[in-house]
Amino acid sequence: MISRFTYFKPHNLIETVQYLEKEEKSFVLAGGTDLMILLRRNLIDAEHIVDIKALPETAAFEFIDGAGLTIGASVVVNRVVDSEVVKVKYPALNQAAASLASFQLRNRATVVGNICNASPGADLPPALLAYDAVVNIAGTQGIRQVPLHQFFTGVKRTVLQRGELVVSVQLPEPGEGDKSIYLRQTRLRGHDLATVGVASRIKPDGKVAIGICAVAPTPKRLFALEDMINERGLSHETIEWAAEEIKEHIHPISDVRSSALYRLQMASVLLKRGLFNLIGKED
Amino acid sequence: MDNSKDCSMYTEHIESGKRKVTLNLTVNGRQVVRDVDPSMTLLHFLRDNLKLFGTKEACGEGECGACTIIMDGNAVTSCIILAVEAEGAQITTVEGLAKDGKLSILQEEYIKADALQCGFCTPGFLMSTRALLDHNPNPTDEEITEALSGNLCRCTGYLPILNAVKSTVERERKELDR
Repeated sequence: MISRFTYFKPHNLIETVQYLEKEEKSFVLAGGTDLMILLRRNLIDAEHIVDIKALPETAAFEFIDGAGLTIGASVVVNRVVDSEVVKVKYPALNQAAASLASFQLRNRATVVGNICNASPGADLPPALLAYDAVVNIAGTQGIRQVPLHQFFTGVKRTVLQRGELVVSVQLPEPGEGDKSIYLRQTRLRGHDLATVGVASRIKPDGKVAIGICAVAPTPKRLFALEDMINERGLSHETIEWAAEEIKEHIHPISDVRSSALYRLQMASVLLKRGLFNLIGKED
Repeated sequence: MDNSKDCSMYTEHIESGKRKVTLNLTVNGRQVVRDVDPSMTLLHFLRDNLKLFGTKEACGEGECGACTIIMDGNAVTSCIILAVEAEGAQITTVEGLAKDGKLSILQEEYIKADALQCGFCTPGFLMSTRALLDHNPNPTDEEITEALSGNLCRCTGYLPILNAVKSTVERERKELDR
């Protein structure tokens, strides 16, 4: 390793955020699957590494009736994949988690890390966005809550300020009959980010929620499109229409994984396939 | 004899000059206490400090699985874990599979099935397989493929590896029934 840093593993949240505020060149370590690459390639100037895995607040992983699901910042992706309650209550999140990276990486990578890294192509945000996830952020002034759709500010950028730490992400409980699915187009399963990823959800009242990644500088919730679908009412015709309309709501770029044109087309296909699957019809 | 240079790796650990951290952990059943550099990876620690050269480095970025070890029951890529993160951990490397000079069933089946050619990826595959079978002694083909999804092999084409895992499952089950 070329990077030179000290290692600090605090046991107290207040001590942690104070340290993060005091030391400018400090970086948070949880799973390390993104951070270690940056350190190894010397892409960040880290003087202090703060390992948050000993903080009790980050270990939380529980579902409470009425309150929903809390996923602490130390909870690794494979725990979400293995969770029965996630399979039943949040299927799109289970599917997204199971599609993320490789098995070994999922044993280290954390759900919250996938959010904080803020990659445009991150696999978990579409499902988390569709479930109205809220990010719990600790700072020296206390805890603030930010809806996930307001959390990302750009490529690899978030609302997090110096001295702040994401403690957990929270998902409200879906009602009876809630349905969701995550579909992802990728070049290589297990070894690549999504070319496009779409989480589609139909709530018990028939309203849809759509989260998408790799088609904009940040993962996005497509609120405007949802409103238009909900106004028309969910039907065979609406889905066919929405599959075209989605192209007006996303702005993909061409890169090593795909051309912009292919992404537009795949976003359309994945939305259509997802919604048809949820209403029980083949496309 | 100083053999620290004998098994040099693709990357070399460079001392950071930062204060060392005392590390306590268990490797292959043996208690280990060492002062380590905070920027040292667990992979470098196993190879450079403990001279356990079975665990390999290839990509160094968690993509290829050559450095897979079992840490507290889970298969993980040791190249992207800091040694200091392993405080208190139970670690098994490929050296921990054979007992009393006798290869484990898993290793024998890999040999029988020709599940290796150059052998560089093999320690990683063995550790991923061990972790899988410890959690799930009777996996489906799909579960095997999934558990080995983070291990790359450029020689075998994977089918012999799949066969080796399946015959290990059979033999270990018979072993249990005895």
